[in-house]
Formats: sequence, C-alpha cells, structure tokens
Amino acid sequence: MTVTAGPRPETAAPAQDRGPRRPSVPTTASHYLIWALTLLVVVGPVVPIVLASLWSTPLYRSGGGLTLGNFRDLLTDPAWWTAVGNSAAFAALTTVTSVLLGVGAAVLLSRTDVPLRRLFAALLILPIMLPGLVLIVGWMAMWAPSGYVSSWLEINTFLRFPVDLYTLPGMVLVATSVAAPTVFLFCRTTVLAIDPALEDAARSAGASPLRALLTVTVPLLRPAVLNSALLVFAISFEALGLPLILGFSNNIRFVSTYLYDHWINAAPPNQGLVSAGAVFLLLCVSGLLVLRNRLVGDAARYTTVTGKATATRVVGLGPARWLPAALLAVVLGVFVVVPLAGVVMSAFTTILTPYVTPWSVLTTENFQAIAEHPIWSESIVNSLLIAGAGGLLTTVAIAVVSVVAHRSSFRFRGSLQQAVVWPRMMPGLVTGMAFFWSFAILDPGGAVRGSLWGIGLAFAVRSLALGYGVFYPALAAIGEDLVRAARTSGATWWQAAVSVVLRLCAPAMAACFVLLFVSILNDADPAVFLVTDRTPVMGLTMLQLAATSTGGAVAAFGVIQMVITLAVLGAGRLFLGVRAHA
Amino acid sequence: MPDLTLTKVAKSFGGNAVLHDLDLHVRDGELFTLLGPSGCGKSTTLWSIAGLHSPDRGTIAFGDRVVFDGGRVDVTPERRNCGVVFQSYAVWPHLSVHDNVAYPLKLRRVKRPARAARVREVLELVELGHLERRYPHELSGGQQQRVALARALAHPPDLLLLDEPFSNLDAKLRERAREWLRALQQRIGVTTVFVTHDQDEALSMSDRVMVMDQGRVRQVGTPEEIYHEPADEFVADFVGSVNVLSGRAVPGADGTAQVSLDGLGRPLTVPAGADLTGDVRLAVRPERIVVHPPGGVPADAVNVVTVKVASRAFLGDHYRYVAELGERELVVRTLTPVDHGSELIVELPPEAIRVFGPA
Repeated sequence: MTVTAGPRPETAAPAQDRGPRRPSVPTTASHYLIWALTLLVVVGPVVPIVLASLWSTPLYRSGGGLTLGNFRDLLTDPAWWTAVGNSAAFAALTTVTSVLLGVGAAVLLSRTDVPLRRLFAALLILPIMLPGLVLIVGWMAMWAPSGYVSSWLEINTFLRFPVDLYTLPGMVLVATSVAAPTVFLFCRTTVLAIDPALEDAARSAGASPLRALLTVTVPLLRPAVLNSALLVFAISFEALGLPLILGFSNNIRFVSTYLYDHWINAAPPNQGLVSAGAVFLLLCVSGLLVLRNRLVGDAARYTTVTGKATATRVVGLGPARWLPAALLAVVLGVFVVVPLAGVVMSAFTTILTPYVTPWSVLTTENFQAIAEHPIWSESIVNSLLIAGAGGLLTTVAIAVVSVVAHRSSFRFRGSLQQAVVWPRMMPGLVTGMAFFWSFAILDPGGAVRGSLWGIGLAFAVRSLALGYGVFYPALAAIGEDLVRAARTSGATWWQAAVSVVLRLCAPAMAACFVLLFVSILNDADPAVFLVTDRTPVMGLTMLQLAATSTGGAVAAFGVIQMVITLAVLGAGRLFLGVRAHA
Repeated sequence: MPDLTLTKVAKSFGGNAVLHDLDLHVRDGELFTLLGPSGCGKSTTLWSIAGLHSPDRGTIAFGDRVVFDGGRVDVTPERRNCGVVFQSYAVWPHLSVHDNVAYPLKLRRVKRPARAARVREVLELVELGHLERRYPHELSGGQQQRVALARALAHPPDLLLLDEPFSNLDAKLRERAREWLRALQQRIGVTTVFVTHDQDEALSMSDRVMVMDQGRVRQVGTPEEIYHEPADEFVADFVGSVNVLSGRAVPGADGTAQVSLDGLGRPLTVPAGADLTGDVRLAVRPERIVVHPPGGVPADAVNVVTVKVASRAFLGDHYRYVAELGERELVVRTLTPVDHGSELIVELPPEAIRVFGPA
C-alpha cells in the first residue's frame, strides 16, 4: 500500500478514540425529555378541563366529587341548544359563501385574463394578514345600520345596504370577508400546481380552453375545496370575536358567547357548566378536523404535481372578462376596502357620520386616550413582549420538536408529529380554559397564571400548528443524505441536526417567527380565562372594547394593530427576500 | 488501513428480508464493488457498514475493531470513521467548498492551521484547489461530486464508501470520472467499498466484485472471473449480455458432454465435469461466437451451425445480429458486417460455453 497523498493530520488519535467530542447527554435521553415536555404542554392541559367538567366543585376548591351534573345542566339548557343551532347555521352559511367566493376568485384570478387580477388577489389576501378584529370594526363603522357608508347611501341615493350586520346573515357576510381568503389561498396553490399537460390533453381531445379549465382543473380542486371548507367551518363554529361584537348585543347567542357569558358575566361563574361546554366544543371541532385529515389523506389520486416548472397559461375570456372584474371590484370594495378605510377614518375623527365632513372633525384624541389609559397602553406593551419572546421561543421549540419528530429514530416520534398539530384542533377558548385549570391545579399560588408567562404559554401552544405548517415543508425538503453525510463525517445526532438541518431551515424559522409574532400579537380567545388586571393583552382588550362600544378608541386600537402587523410582515418579507445562498 | 469483515449480516424491513446472512471480506487497500440490480441489498449493505442502518443480526468489523455485533455493539455512524460519498453527493448547500471539506476536521478538533492545510491538500487531490471559496450551487455536477469525495477523504477515513457516485453524471463524464477515481484510490490506498448497478463501472474499476441479488451473494471474484466464469445464470446475464439456450445433456468423450437443443439437428459439444446429464442451460456471450464465411470453416471446428438471420443492427462500434437457432434466438456480435445473405455460419467454441443446471 502506498500512501502518497493521504497523510493523517498529526492530531488524529488511534481509531478507537477518534470521533466526535462531547458524548454529552445521550441523544435518546434528550429525545425522551423533549417528548415528555411536549406532551405535557400540548396534551396535558386537556386533562384538567375534562376533570373540571366532571367535578362538582371548581378544582381549586377542596371537596366535591365526580358528577355528570355539569353535562346534565348543559344539555337541558334550551339556551345552549339555541346557541349550538346558531353556531352551526352561521358556520355552514359562512362556509358556503366563502367557498363560492374563494374558489371563483382562485380560478378567475390565476387562470383567466380578468383585468386587474393582481390587485384583486392582493386585496383578497389582505384580511388574512390583518388581525380579524380590525376588519370587523371597519365593517361596523361603515356598514352597520348607522354606519358611515350605509347612512350616506340612504341620505344621498336610492341604494340601501341590504343586510343588517347585527343579524345572522350580517355576521355571515362579515365572516365571509375574513374566511374567503383561506379558501382562495388553498385553491390557488392547487390551481397553480396542476400540470398544464392535463388541460392540454383535454384541448387535444377537442375541448375549448374554457371548457378544459372547467372540466379538468376545477374538478381537480375538490380536495382543496373540501379541505379549506372544513377548516372554515371549524373556525367559524368556534369563533368568539365576531359573535361577541355583533351578535351579543342583539341577543344572538353562539356556542362561544354562551361559554363566555357564563364565565365572565355569571356570578358566581358557572365553571363546571362552561367546562362541559368546552369539552363539547373540543369534541365537535376535533371531529371535524380529524375528518378533514382523513379526506386529505385520501387525496393521493388528485396528486398532479410533476415537479416540472411550467408557466401557467391564461384562458382568454374575451370582452366578457369585464363582468367578473366588475363583480370582484364591488365585492372586494364592500368587503375589504371600505371597512379598512372605515377603521382609519373612525380612528382619526371624533365622530364619523355623513352629516359632518370627516375633515372638520380630525383628531388624534383616540390615540391619546389609548396612551393615557394605563390598561390599554399596558396591553400593547404586554402583547409586544409576549409576541416577541413567545414567538422566538415557540419557533425554537417547533424547530427542535420537528427535527426530533421527523429526523430521528426516536421510538415515539409518530406521537410527537401528532402532538404538534393537535393544538390546531383546540378552539382558542378551550386552550385558554385548559391552561386556566392546569394552572389552578399545578400552580395554586398563581405565580405563573398571574404573569405574562401564563398567557404567553397558552398563546404559544395555540400557534404551534401554524408555525409547524410553515416550518415543516422546509424541513421535508432537506435531503436525508445531507444529514447522513454529516453523521458519517463524525457529527453526533444533535451536531448534525444543528449544523446541517436547522442551519438550512434558518429562512423557514425566520418566516415561522414572523407569522407566530403576528398571530400571538393579535390573539384574544385563549386570554379570556387567563387575563388579569395586571396582564392585559391587546387582542382581548380590543375585543372587550369592541363588544361594548363602537367609539374611535376601538378603531385607534385597530389602526395600531394593523400598523404593527403590516410592519412586521413587511420587515419579514424584506428580511426573507435577502436569502443567503441556499 | 484496516480490512473489512461482515459475518452473517441479516436485515429485514417490515418482514421483508433484504439481506440474508451476508458474509463479505474486503482486503486492506482493495477497491471492492457491490454489484446488483436495484433492490438487491447493496445499498443496505453499504449503509450497514457506515452505521446508518442497524442490521438485525451479524457482526461487522473494521480490522479487529468490531463496530457492530448483534444487539451488543452498535457503534454510531459518527464514531465509525468512514468517508461516504452519497449518490446525491449531499454537499451542504450552506457551506463553501472549503467549509464542507473542513467539517469532519472541525468535529475532530483539528487546529485551524492544520485544518486549512489539510483542506487544501485534499482539494488539490481532487483537482478543486482553485474553487475553495465557491458555494455548491456554483459548481457543476462533476465538481460537486469531487467536493463530496474530498470531504469523505478529509479526516482521513478508515474506509471509503461510495454509493453509486457516478449515476448523476452524463455518459462521457462518467467514463472519465471512473478512471480518475480508480487512479486516485490506488494512489491513496484507502480500503474502498463501491456500490453500483452499472456493470461497466464494476468491471473497469474494481479489484474484486461481489454480485448480489435479492439479498444474497451470487459470486465474488475479479472482474475477469465474474465475466468469463460466471457462477450462475443470473451473474452471466446481469454482467454483460448472454445467449441462454436450454437443452438435454448426455455424457460425451473425455470431459465433455453432448447437448441437444430443440429444432437443432446435431448436438453441441460442451465442456463438462463428471457425467453431465439431464436438462441443462447453456450460456454463450455474443462476442464469443465466431462467424465463418461460406466454405471457410476450419476442419477442426466443432459446434458449427447454420442459422437464419432475423435482424441486423448497427451500433457504432459493432454489429448485432439476431439469428434463429432452432426455436431460439441467438445474438451474435461482430466488428464488421458479414453479409452472407440471409444465413450465417456460426461456430460456438466449447470453451466459450458455460453450462448451468436447470434454472
């Protein structure tokens, strides 16, 4: 053997001792630790809710025993069943309208030559990026019976805004403006991913371009439609903000507002009953989302992505294209542009009414009021803190858990994968209550519950699935060989995970942080049960304010929320735009 | 450099056995090739050596260092000190060429000056010294492959493992890379296990080849042994192309047998051990068949038959005739066209025929 070109570095030790440094905590032990922590934080809190629903007294008080009384009280309360009926009707109608608008817009805006389609698409997606409450506040300012635009129409034209926002159809309309973008995004992704060869095949079989689009591409959207429709239904069913702001004053009770009312307004709070209701809600929403996962799993036969990069082709509609354009302009004007203008206008005026020109009543009083009101201003600072620290820690947690769940040979990695998406099935109210009871049992002194950490933890767990959704595709795209190469080069499992996998996922982690920051900043529902006078958070403060008044302060809050959100998203986009070589 | 010994290594995935008690010994400094169709277990074998898969049973030893022994010993991949070149190259996109190669050295805490020197040395070795600062996406496929090789050689490894390293290169480049890698391996003298499904690669590069099929070893030998003396019909067919004829044998004179084929008047004389009888299969390589001009058959030629030409194809460096031999097809290769009408007079020399038992 001639070794002419491969001398060993002088530092190399004999074979047995060579190898990586620091055989620190054994990898397997660290995996078990991460697994246990994840399950404790994600699944653990559900246990006390179920317990509370089956216990005769609140868990923090001694005594009491097992009982089905809470469920009996709930199921024999006619108001509860009215609320379930209202929630179901609201969710069903919202789903139908959102699917119609979302699918129609997805096909029109990505595959036809409708004029201004880029602008329309941007407007349509806008609500998904903004805090949900902002849009609702805007709707109220402009389209409520006494709203600015509806009154203006009444005074100056023969036109009337046809729907009263404080009724079920009105709420459906508002909810559609928030939910349709979800359907739109799901379907647009699918439309763009469909291999044009499929339509070409229809064309060569004799179909016109429009017919090929309608008979090939649109049917292929079925999984995306089903998927997004179930998601919209589940979210509408559990929503708290909209029913609280628009329905509550008009005595239209939903499941969420029923629970809210019996917790916040009842004296003493009927905690057993509310827990039973939360268990019911959890079962319904979980059932829906399990169903959705099943259906999505069966969608393999719709897999059409070929991996070939081909430009999407645009179907010409001829002069008829102005018709859908006009329709979209009206819908998006009513749904997005006018409400957003409404938020800004009411934030900067003392009174917003068609009888007075807004210019004459311009003011910054609303913002001053927020700055001077200790709880209001504190809530903004708190939310920024929670969003910053929580977003960062949650991103790291998601990254670490995902790597263990998908890139290790850890025995229980499957359950870890489930655990990360499980919070998605939890309505925000249920998450909040779950942590309330957990803290009540584990932390009777209230040290955690009374601090921002408590709310932060609940918000973080709630946003796990969202962050994971952003992070996982990047993780999945990293070839296993890159990791194997690191291992055979001498890296331990953790060294390979950090120096190769997580390093390559850095852009996805940044994107994950941005989305988590925005989501945590604007979240409200879980805070309902956790918030104290010392720990107000922006989302809930604004929700409670919006539920009781329509004043400029709410709108000013909305503007602040909107500005922070857009600034963070913009910065994120800028930051992600400059991607390193990868 | 140590030698490598696998003893009774077995592995199954979900009840499906991919390795059946595999034994294998790679000598010090040797380039040893695992050759077989996809799914034959060659990559599983390689990954078991690297520690990326744990076999179910058996032992694996580098020299006298046991790295795997049933459930008792299973050295993690990072402690096996192998250098692996993956089919996808697996060059880390976030690191420069220099940092890719330096990675194993960093993990071994080689001091900065020594590290830089070693990286430069290995990169010179793979002729990439001038691209040290580049990032992988700025390199061609062939260059990336050499980065992967440099990284695998950097520490330096006790064993070099190559998993189909040429399969992503185009044909011309592949041929050059083959010669280059073989020369490099001989210069360094690193014990190398090479996995491929390409027989040309296996034959042209290896000291020894192991042909595998469905998790079992079919034959181990030098490239010449594998090609000229295939142990069974599978090896004969997988390595190179071969005509397989079935017939019935009766013992003949001094170490030969007479094999009669359906539709052929005279039996063929084949080399045989003690009294070969019954159903047999004959394997003849197309290029070993001799074509004679009409009237030009030497007097001492045996196994001369006249066959009908069914088709002829020109393949650049040779001609390929498909002829009818009885009820079978016989493929014949010649360097020049032999246009003797619709019939060919061919000779199947006994020494060119391998006899196998019934399949």
